[in-house]
Amino acid sequence: MKDLLPTATPARARAAVREIIRPHRAVAAAGFGLLIVATSVGLLVQPLLGYVVDLVAGRQPATLLTTPVALLVLVGVVQGLLTSWGLVLVARFGETALAELRERFVERALSLPLERVERAGSGDLTSRVTGDVARVAEAVRSALPALARSLLSIVLTLVAMAVLDWRFMVAALLAIPVQLHTGRWYVRNAVPLYAAQRVATGEQQQQLLDTLAGATTVRSLRAEADHLARVDGRSRAAVELTMRGVHLMLRFYSRLHIGEYIGLAAVLAAGVLLVGEGAVTVGTATAAALYFLNLFGPINTALALLDDAQAATASLARLIGVADVAATETPRPAHGDGVSVRGLGHAYEPGRPVLHGVDLEIEPGKRVALVGPSGAGKTTLAKIVAGVHEPTTGTVRAPAGIAMVTQEVHVFAGPLADDLRLASPQATDADLRAALATVEALEWAEALPDGLATVVGQGGHRLTGAQRQQLALARLVLTDPALAVLDEATAEAGSTGARTLERAVEQAIDGRTALIVAHRLTQAASADRVVVMDGGRVVEDGSHDDLRQAGGRYAGHWAAWTRHHAHDDQ
Amino acid sequence: MQSGRDVLSRAIRGQRSRLIAGSLLGAGHQAGEALVPVLVGLAIDQAVAGASWSRLLVWLAVLAVVYFGLSFSYRFGARAGERAATEAAHDLRSAIVARVLHPGGGADRDRLPGELTGIATEDARRVGMVLLAVLTGIAGFTGLAVASVVLLTTSVQLGLIVLVGTPALLWLGHLLSKPLERRSAVEQESAAHASGVAADLVSGLRVLKGLGAEQAAVERYRHTSRTSLAATLRAARAEALQNGVVIALTGAFIALLALAGGTLAANGTITLGQLVSAVGLALFLQGPLYMLAWVNTELAQGRASAARVAALLSAPPAVTGTGTELPAQVKGALRLRGVTHGGLRELDLDIVAGELVGVAATDPAAATALLHCLGRHGDPESGTIELDGVPLREVDPALLRQAVLVAEHDAVLFEGTVADNGGTPEALDAAGAADLSPETPVGERGGSLSGGQRQRVALARALDARRPVLVLHDPTSAVDAVTEARIAESVRRLRHGQTTVVVTTSPALLSAADRVLLLDGGRVADDASHADLLQRNADYRKAVLA
Repeated sequence: MKDLLPTATPARARAAVREIIRPHRAVAAAGFGLLIVATSVGLLVQPLLGYVVDLVAGRQPATLLTTPVALLVLVGVVQGLLTSWGLVLVARFGETALAELRERFVERALSLPLERVERAGSGDLTSRVTGDVARVAEAVRSALPALARSLLSIVLTLVAMAVLDWRFMVAALLAIPVQLHTGRWYVRNAVPLYAAQRVATGEQQQQLLDTLAGATTVRSLRAEADHLARVDGRSRAAVELTMRGVHLMLRFYSRLHIGEYIGLAAVLAAGVLLVGEGAVTVGTATAAALYFLNLFGPINTALALLDDAQAATASLARLIGVADVAATETPRPAHGDGVSVRGLGHAYEPGRPVLHGVDLEIEPGKRVALVGPSGAGKTTLAKIVAGVHEPTTGTVRAPAGIAMVTQEVHVFAGPLADDLRLASPQATDADLRAALATVEALEWAEALPDGLATVVGQGGHRLTGAQRQQLALARLVLTDPALAVLDEATAEAGSTGARTLERAVEQAIDGRTALIVAHRLTQAASADRVVVMDGGRVVEDGSHDDLRQAGGRYAGHWAAWTRHHAHDDQ
Repeated sequence: MQSGRDVLSRAIRGQRSRLIAGSLLGAGHQAGEALVPVLVGLAIDQAVAGASWSRLLVWLAVLAVVYFGLSFSYRFGARAGERAATEAAHDLRSAIVARVLHPGGGADRDRLPGELTGIATEDARRVGMVLLAVLTGIAGFTGLAVASVVLLTTSVQLGLIVLVGTPALLWLGHLLSKPLERRSAVEQESAAHASGVAADLVSGLRVLKGLGAEQAAVERYRHTSRTSLAATLRAARAEALQNGVVIALTGAFIALLALAGGTLAANGTITLGQLVSAVGLALFLQGPLYMLAWVNTELAQGRASAARVAALLSAPPAVTGTGTELPAQVKGALRLRGVTHGGLRELDLDIVAGELVGVAATDPAAATALLHCLGRHGDPESGTIELDGVPLREVDPALLRQAVLVAEHDAVLFEGTVADNGGTPEALDAAGAADLSPETPVGERGGSLSGGQRQRVALARALDARRPVLVLHDPTSAVDAVTEARIAESVRRLRHGQTTVVVTTSPALLSAADRVLLLDGGRVADDASHADLLQRNADYRKAVLA
């Protein structure tokens, strides 16, 4: 079961939103104020049209029409101007607050303990960074202004109807119970449905990527039919959920039509009643009917935006949940240039320890190789020493500057030089070249289409596995750490590229304290000390020569390795 | 070669009945919507102006019938249209995936996985949307037609003003907003960029943590976010201005209508109710016209998507067959003559049925080219390859892969458990993966496993397929020495009597082979046992020993 990252409670989310909005209160107030005035001015159109009707009904000469017509033009121009201005201010308010929110979120997301992110599955954080940020942005960008304008139109139109005659407003309000009930019914059903739809769409996307990116493997294994069925199944599930959403939405509009009809009938009936009593003119009744016809749009917009607003609220809670995670990382006190590990134990899940009572000393400037079968706990120990994981028990003392390079390499999208500068923002071009030269990568880097300015990473120039590893080592050189931790940094290159990488590693860690998880024993042989692990414990610890002569496990490993290397070893 | 038009017309034909039903109902809905302002005008004229309750009841009854009809047609028309769109997209998605996975290959040659996924999702969806757009277009034209008839029968002058004025208004708004739209598109791209940067930094979280570069990354993101904010605000200003212009233009048009209609009514040319209807219809007309504008954009985008889908579907296969059958029992003798391809130069090579052969290449490109040809992802530029005397070129690639499995170094694992990917416990054991529980989920592309674990599961999967000929490429590059030696032994035992080719420079694997071929300069440079080659060939020593 995955342990997802936290989601903020509604109360906490509201508080966080208030906190973000506070510095922008003035802009927000001005923006919404302008929209209120603009909408109010726009509502003068219907009485002016009503006045035209009254002039006609009263058999007045056509020349009297000039005044209401000129006023109609004026109303349009003023409303247009004020709306523009108001929308600009609302956008400035919303977008600035949004930028602050996403920056705060990314800052926190990057400072989360890696262990916490891994427990949640990397997809959790990624989907929040992409999906949730986009949903909140979409809401701020389109739903917020549309919702604001719709609500203003509705409220002010009702007020305007009341000004014509309070009974018109009462008639219009007869539609409200139907609409409110429909809106609540819709949101209740839509929120879980759309959540399920997003999950299904994500799964479909994932399956497509899985199958299409592995097309060669699928063909080799003759698994085409199986994969087609998988894709079809995911796609079918997404189609059915989409259609359920469509049905729901269409039933929603059907119910709104009932509300519209009730309100329209009531307003017309009020017209008959009031004109009969002589309380209002036919023109006023016309204005009321036109007002009501004009309410359909804003009401439908507002209700249809309810689920956008709901989805955005849910996304917001997921963003604030992460932004609120207390920074639990307490910097470890620095300790010389060496490493000292005492009684270290670690369990990713309670009750399933992967390390037991590990002790490890590395003197400053010395190089230690970790050796052992897969699953022995080498990577876990390396991560703890590097400070990436917090141990469950025991103590670790290590120098201040640590850099870790693993076999999982990521190339950051953008120019190659920018990728390197993440390790050292102040580095000059000469520094970058020097670092690349240290790991024997300068030659190919300069041969790229635009040299160091070549865009690499997703969507850019594709680097080979070995090149990506060299890039990772060049970042390490730029970081210039006192302690370098390398986890099988030569594994992905295949056997021929591995030798180039081994040289690159040698040069990158020259003069540093180093802990190396090695599966190629040449790396162990050139280390100052070899530590053999098995089952989460250190089983042997000594120099290459001592261990080889001791006849223990390392000697066994070495024998397996040298059986095929006999000629070279002599 | 099929065109985008073929893809579109096939999609439309496939959903014909839904499309016809949806169009009829959609037309009914728009006709109903057009009638509402007309009926309101009539009710005001005949019931409200005369304060007559009985007339009101009559008009309310008529209005109720119209409302019921329009609501019903909307609900079921839109349902048919949406169903047609999603079903067409689904069918297309299946066709696209089937084409990519086709044994002949060729569709994924020049396209990255992300692009293929984009075509199977976004482009398929857009082609589906064309169906909905066609339906909406028919409905929109119906609304336009009904409104026109009503207006022109009321008064030719007023009708012409509305019918000419409304499209002119929209066109003017469109014209004014065109430069703004272009600007906002550029700026929205910059906004999307910010979200891309954030996602990229998060996927590189491990690297950032390893370097302690979180702060530098945050600074970089903040910079991107601020640039994006500035762009978004520029786009928002443009959009707000466009909004304001449309509002002002609409106001001016209504004023014009009031002037013309009022004058006509004052002259007695039209009645009061007709004036109200005309104003209502002018407001209504914006609906169908906006619909038609939407239809236009969807059709343009749909055509572009259909062209991309068509190009993918009609991509020529990389390899074909001429229908020659392989023997019922494949023995597994391989014979290469004069093969030139990638890093291979006039390569002659023979592998006896049932042999375990190691192939050590001094140049990785030669190894890749050999695997490429044996797996028939492509045919060699020149030369022939035969399996049991049958030229590979003549065999249907699907049939060939029943006999030959090439397990590539970068083979991927698929979402599921270790057992789903690696097969039987016996195979997992042989691949040195017995320590992994078969129920362990491997995650997206095997991401939950370590590099070494992924490699061993992939090897188990290859062994479990039990093909007469198995070609392995660097199957143990991320495995420790002891396990590697064990794997070499079990591959030998498990594949006893079946042709197995191991392309690698790992001494542990090569020493388990019956004989080893050294590929140098694109051809076989030496041929002997691992031990003999170590003894006599300096190039070999250099290639396989660290």
